Amino acid sequence: MSSAEAPEIRGGLAFGPLWRIARRDLGRNRRRSLLSMLAVALGLALLIAFNGLINGVMDDMRDNTIRYDTGHLQLRRPDYDADSLSLRGSELVDDLDARLARLRAMDGVRVASPVLWIRGLMTGAEESVDLRLIGIDPESELHAPFRDALAAGDFLSADDRDGVLIGRRLAEKMGLAPGDKAPLAVVDAEGKLDEGLFTVRGVFDTGLIVYDESVALMSLSKAQAFGQARGRASAIVLLLDRADDAARLAATLDEPGLRALSWLDLNELLGYYLGTVKRFYWLLDAIVMLVVAVVIANTLLMAVFERIREVGILAALGMRGRQILQLFMLEALALGLLGCAVGIGLGLAGVAWLQTVGIDFGEEAMSGAGNLAMGSVMHGRIDLLQVLLLTLWTLAVIGLASLYPAWFAARMEPVDALRQT
Amino acid sequence: MDAVQLDNVSKTYAIGESQLRALDGVSLTVAQGEFTAIVGPSGSGKTTMLQLMGCLDRPDGGRVQVEGRDVTDLGPDARADLRRDRIGFVFQFFALVPVLDAFENVELPLLLAGIPEAERRSRVDELLEAVGLSDRAHHRPDQLSGGEQQRVAVARALAPRPVLVLADEPTANLDTANGRRIMEIMQGLNQRTGTAFVFATHDPRVVAFATRVVEMRDGKVVGERAGQGASPTGSPT
Ligand SMILES: Nc1ncnc2c1ncn2[C@@H]1O[C@H](COP(=O)(O)OP(=O)(O)OP(=O)(O)O)[C@@H](O)[C@H]1O
Ligand SMILES: [Mg+2]
Repeated sequence: MSSAEAPEIRGGLAFGPLWRIARRDLGRNRRRSLLSMLAVALGLALLIAFNGLINGVMDDMRDNTIRYDTGHLQLRRPDYDADSLSLRGSELVDDLDARLARLRAMDGVRVASPVLWIRGLMTGAEESVDLRLIGIDPESELHAPFRDALAAGDFLSADDRDGVLIGRRLAEKMGLAPGDKAPLAVVDAEGKLDEGLFTVRGVFDTGLIVYDESVALMSLSKAQAFGQARGRASAIVLLLDRADDAARLAATLDEPGLRALSWLDLNELLGYYLGTVKRFYWLLDAIVMLVVAVVIANTLLMAVFERIREVGILAALGMRGRQILQLFMLEALALGLLGCAVGIGLGLAGVAWLQTVGIDFGEEAMSGAGNLAMGSVMHGRIDLLQVLLLTLWTLAVIGLASLYPAWFAARMEPVDALRQT
Repeated sequence: MDAVQLDNVSKTYAIGESQLRALDGVSLTVAQGEFTAIVGPSGSGKTTMLQLMGCLDRPDGGRVQVEGRDVTDLGPDARADLRRDRIGFVFQFFALVPVLDAFENVELPLLLAGIPEAERRSRVDELLEAVGLSDRAHHRPDQLSGGEQQRVAVARALAPRPVLVLADEPTANLDTANGRRIMEIMQGLNQRTGTAFVFATHDPRVVAFATRVVEMRDGKVVGERAGQGASPTGSPT
């Protein structure tokens, strides 16, 4: 008897024959297959490009904040109130020279420089602007980014007693140019309002509204005198050889009366914000995937309904439900894989373009960025792990979307399927 | 041994509120090697009976045995396996898989059964030869005439070396000459392989080929007679 010759196969039909049928079925309605493949491709390309853009924007934001503001590591007094930029003696770092010497001698520390932050006000003819005054050591490499961003005039010199640097937007707003006098006011350590007339030495243009509009730099010694905080600093800011070292070094630097904060700690708010933004983009990702899922499910449902009688024939020939399921899933997966391959190509090309050229959203659009260190030109960054995950997600979604149509075909009774004409 | 045996089998279809008794206590045994025609007016239950014999459907009452094995209560997978290994089908519409060529269509049940490649190739070649389509092996269904498609379907039904081939009005969509050709081929294969054939038909010229004729009416077997067993040349033996 031939049933003895024919080995019972309990598993699925070998991949080859199923694939042969699936492949040719896809070729049957070429336009539909192509369109659904393209839908997958565009969907994934969109996801990759979009997420790549977000990566870049977030990187830029983090890098900008590190470069212009926080550095890699800061030493502050544990009770320093960063929100009010307090100038109280007990909240400021003293003994600067000895500490700086020690820090600069440490392995992995590239730059150590003291800064003093003061809440200030620039008074103009028509309006006053709130500012953050930053007392800096003009010679320190820490401020190279501001030096590089200089758009007019000169940078501060070490012994500058009345010079300030302001950002381009502030200069425009107040109608100031290098050489002009700028009246500044601060509330000093004793709570008294101090006023002074400074000379605009130079104007910087970082492209970041948060700095260009509301920061003024002056020499540390002048700032200390202005704010009645002689010999003290709000923080010692460090640049490290490697940013990744920050957390490790922070642990070794903790000493009584001082607290070391890494850029991760200092950007907690930024991190929180980025987390929120990411969740929002996940929602967008989910919507794109949903659209892809609907397209695939629709294509497959149409394919199933068109071929109900064929399903009946296959069942009559002895194909099991599971094999019929596999057949349709295979078709969906083939569309999905092809679409993903094209989508990865398009998406990576998109991000590469963003990486090199970027999109200029213009300054006006960016005024909504508030106090985030976000430039008007957005770049992208390729994150291969992310691309892989997005691809796997897309494939998983396609698999899920094809499950119902495939299951519908598989669970049909052969007689019902054969009756269809 | 008997190829298939129906014991007091009934099948009822629900049409809205009412019930339609398509088969009403049918008992019928088809021995191995038979060449049997099922005749009867439209709606008498021929198709329904073939579907139950072929394990495409399950009866509401009674038992179905294939090669002496009770298959009435088998699950879907076991029924699929049984169809794959022991039963061939030929339908009125030329039920080929449209994306596969003639060779691949005949090969498909062998692939499903896990028959090794060399064996598959020789069986398919042999069967295509037997139905006179060796030169059409790599034509797709839409490149074949109706008669040729039906011959491929016959070859495919025979490929797994089943004990039973069920053919539901295999010639109904063919002209006289092609219908005759199909019957001659089936008869030849029946005699050569000993596979039992059961075919439903309205056509007396087709009935003439049968060695046994079963008559149905209103879901019951109402009579049975020996057939003429017309020889391939058309004259009764
Ligand atoms: N799925 C179904 N649902 C409802 N009624 C059905 C179904 N299949 C068949 N019937 C009914 O069962 C009866 C028997 O049908 P069957 O198809 O077996 O007849 P048949 O002898 O093959 O007829 P024909 O010669 O026209 O093919 C008919 O009255 C038919 O309408
Ligand atoms: Mg019928």
